[in-house]
Order: sequence, then C-alpha cells, then structure tokens
Amino acid sequence: MFGLIGHSSSFRDARLKARDLGLEELAEGELDLWCSAPPQLVETFELTSATGQTIQGTYIDSCFVPEMLSRFKTATRKVQNAMELAQKKGINITALGGFTSIIFENFNLAKFQQIRATLLQWERFTTGNTHTAWVICRQVEQNAPRLGIDLTKAKVAVVGATGDIGSAVCRWLSRRTGVAELLLVARQQQRLEDLRQELGGGRVLSLEEALPEADVVVWVASLPQTLSIEAESLRKPCLMIDGGYPKNLDTRVASEHVTVLKGGIVEFVRDIGWQMMEMAEMSNPRRQLFACFAEAMLLEFEGWHTNFSWGRNNITLEAMEQIGAASIRHGFSALGLEPVEAPAIALVA
Amino acid sequence: MASSVLAPTAEEIPDFSTEAYKSAYSRINAIVIEGEQEAYDNYLSLVTLLPDQQESLGQLARMELKHMKGFQACGKNLGVEPDMAFAKTFFAPLHNNFETALAEGKVVSCLVIQALMIEAFAIAAYHIYIPVADPFARKITEGVVKDEYTHLNYGQEWLKARFEDVRGEIEQANKINLPIIRRMLDQVADDAAVLHMEKESLIEDFLIAYQEALMEIGFASRDLARMSAAALVA
Repeated sequence: MFGLIGHSSSFRDARLKARDLGLEELAEGELDLWCSAPPQLVETFELTSATGQTIQGTYIDSCFVPEMLSRFKTATRKVQNAMELAQKKGINITALGGFTSIIFENFNLAKFQQIRATLLQWERFTTGNTHTAWVICRQVEQNAPRLGIDLTKAKVAVVGATGDIGSAVCRWLSRRTGVAELLLVARQQQRLEDLRQELGGGRVLSLEEALPEADVVVWVASLPQTLSIEAESLRKPCLMIDGGYPKNLDTRVASEHVTVLKGGIVEFVRDIGWQMMEMAEMSNPRRQLFACFAEAMLLEFEGWHTNFSWGRNNITLEAMEQIGAASIRHGFSALGLEPVEAPAIALVA
Repeated sequence: MASSVLAPTAEEIPDFSTEAYKSAYSRINAIVIEGEQEAYDNYLSLVTLLPDQQESLGQLARMELKHMKGFQACGKNLGVEPDMAFAKTFFAPLHNNFETALAEGKVVSCLVIQALMIEAFAIAAYHIYIPVADPFARKITEGVVKDEYTHLNYGQEWLKARFEDVRGEIEQANKINLPIIRRMLDQVADDAAVLHMEKESLIEDFLIAYQEALMEIGFASRDLARMSAAALVA
C-alpha cells in the first residue's frame, strides 16, 4: 500500500470539496474551524501498471490549506498529523504532496519525530522530489525542440536553483542534457556560488537579468506575489516550465511567444480509479497527477520501501535515472505541449 | 512561498509561579481530578450492566483512582487548591447523560461517553499538557496517558465486537454528546491558554483520538468526518 498526503489548493476549494462529500458543517465553517480539523483518510483505490502489476493506494487530505501558511503551529500540526495517520494505517511509502514537503523542510520538522504515542519512521515517507526533478528535465528535453529551441545552443534559467529540486535539475541539465548555458537564480548568494562550483559552470544572475536571456525558464520556486513579467522582454520563443507550487505562472505571462507548461506533472497510461484529483486543476484528472505522488506509486510498484527522496540536496543523477527508468516502465509520461503519446506497450485489460 | 514563514520556536514554558497561572490551574487541575473521579465511578457503575466484565472494569476503575491521586499531588506541588465546585458544574451535562443512559440500561451510550469521548478528551489534553507542564506534573501525566490508551481500547474492543448491533446507538450517542464535549472545550479554552495549551490543537487532537477509535470500531472513513463535524462547529 502506498499513500499520498495532499491538500486543497485554496480554502475555497476545500469548502467546495467538503460540500461534495456531504460535509455541510465543514463546507460552511470558517478557517478557524478548518484549523482544528484532523486529517482525513479520503479514499483507497487501485492502480495497475503498464506491466500489469496492481497496487493499492490511499489518499489522505491533511485539511491544510495554503491560507494557513502564516500559522506556524497549525501548518506544522497538519503535516505531522497526516504523517502520523499514514504510518498508523501501516502504509509502506507515502508521498508528501503540495505544501506538505515544503512545510516539512522549511519548518525543519525532522526535529520532531515523536507525535503523541507514535515515533514517525522517516523511511515510510518521500518528498517525491527525485521523480519531480527527473520529470521537469524530461519536459525541458522533450518540449524545447518542439518550439524550435536547440538545447545545445540554449540558455536555460533555473529559478530556485539552490532548492532540492532546483539543484537536481541543474545537475541533470548540465551533465546529462548538455544545455549550452545554465543561468542560476536564487535568493541565497552563498548557496548559488557553492552550486556553481559544484556544477563547474553556469552564471549567477538576478531574475531580472536572467529572464531576457533565457530560451527556457524552469521555475521551481513559488512566485513572489509582486512578480510581473514583461512578455516583450523575453526571448522568442521562450519555454517556461512551471514547476513551483501552486502552479500559477500562466496567470503572470500571456504572450504568443511564451509557452507555459505545468511542470512536474505526469500522465499515467490508464485511468486511475480515484475521485480526489478532480479538484487538483488537472486537465485530465483521471490520468494526470503530480510527479511526487507518482514517486510513491513507483516505490510501491518496485518494492523500494525507503525514503527515496529525503532532506535537501541529496538527489543524485543515479537516483534520477533509477526513478526515471521505473517511471517509463510502469507507464508514466511527462506532461507535454502536445497530447502525450501513448507509450508503446500492450495494455492488459 | 513557505520560506517567508517564520522559523519554528521551541515550546514556551509558562511561569508556574504567577497568580494567573495558579488561578487557571485551580480550575484545570480540578477538572482533571473530577474527570478521573467520575471515570472511577462510571466504570464501577457499568458493572451493573456488564456483570461479566466486573474484573476488567474494576481494574480500569482502580487505575482512574490512582490517576486522580496523582493529579491531586500536582495541585499540591504548585500550592494550588483545586476548584472542585467548578469542576462538578463543568462535568454536569455529560455526567447527567451518563446517569440517564445507565438508568435506561444503555450500555453502548455509557461506553461512548466514558470510554470513547472522555478518554479521547483526556488523551488529547494530556498530550498537549506534557510539553508545557511543570516537571513534577509532567512525570505524573506521562504515566497517566499510557493508561488512558488502554481505557480507550477497552471501549473500542467491546463496541467493535458488536459493531453491527450497536452502530445505531453509537451514532445517536455521538449526536447527543459530542456538542457537549465541544462546549466543554470552549469553556476551558481561556484557562488552558494560560497553561500554554491551545484550543485549536485540543480540538484537533481530541478528534484524532476519537476518530481513530471510531474507525477501529468499524466506521468507514467517510462516516468519521460526518460524525465528528459536530465537535468542530461551535
């Protein structure tokens, strides 16, 4: 059994979802009420791999909503309580979706292993970041050429380059993809310099400097509230991969020369019998999902019951290759600009 | 993004010597003592409805009595006189419902009130109290909380073994008594805040323990949210 810990993308969505589930009190409740709501085990469903193997998964809604981010204790409780529930249900490997892993990392929740009577076992959880990083790189590799961008000649800006996913993406793009130049953008200058040295290349730039130069922009940081992007100042064409959370880049840039692709999203080879993704703003919620969730599925398919992605800046190219090969084997493909081609496998009905 | 959020701070320990703390403690400590006393009485009363359970119930009752004495010592240690009159009024609505159910021979309702709700309430409150308690009370409370799980488990197992026959009465008892629990949490919130125990987490932790018991008993996960919503609405 694998698990997914998710949450609604806004308080408004959470209330709508509660109404769908017939929970009127929650649907009408104010944010304070939601702050006291315990995590809910929403559904259990089956998933069949391209190889024919079937596994079971459970979706847990932590009852967190992004509006709680400014309440440190509340946000912390939501994450810890959802993790405790997953462990108590005996789930082998659970992915921390959306803000769950961000809160875990930024609030340093690894310090708090004891939750009431439960000692959290970290090996039962994964951030899913290795698969997300691999998928984002694949999205760059597959979609830039479709826009006429030759990656061997292209400048690729990575915004949020020093983060867990960002640094992995930089490593892969420079060593595996062989992009012409990496433009490294992040807030912390020392970390940027360390990363540049590790990569043995790349240029450290501010966001304003990097954007007009970049043929491809990979966003793996959430967007500053005040950010506005002048489409006219960008390269033509320009591919933007929106790998942050929440995915709202397309509301900030609108131009025929700029193509925005939702980053870190995969499409599964067949329908998944779940209900909860309906609200997750996927264009095909029966098949599309966050790559971090898919990582938990892959770890369960493969029997790799370990915290495959954990901590910060631990993602190796070998781990990305390993999870990437499993991803293809089991029927996931990276979301692309055109309808995703069906993998060449015989479907087992 | 999340990085703009403040870094975590360690659990703040209150000043146990202030008058404000002692005043709040006189009511909270009394509630805990009264709660353990009533638990003792309730488990012994249940023997009249479950004579074959005399031994187990007697054992649970004796543990509650031991807890009560421990919490009395906590008050003495801080030089606080528990306000027992307040605590009796605090428990009265729930106590009355238990007595009524007992008189009507409704063993399921009695177990829902005592073994599920009150025990889940205690587990939540004790867990939240431990990190902010004075060293003496912390040690006592850590010992108590382990026992309370076995009490919750007792009610859980009994009800689980008869789930199909008793689910209707559990739902009914839930509907009648959960709003009372919620009012009790509201009533105690200000004093609890002085002890650095937050209402928000008290409610959440109570619901976690309570829902977990309901799930063990046999309710589906969707039933849980529906049944516990009454505790969320003020």
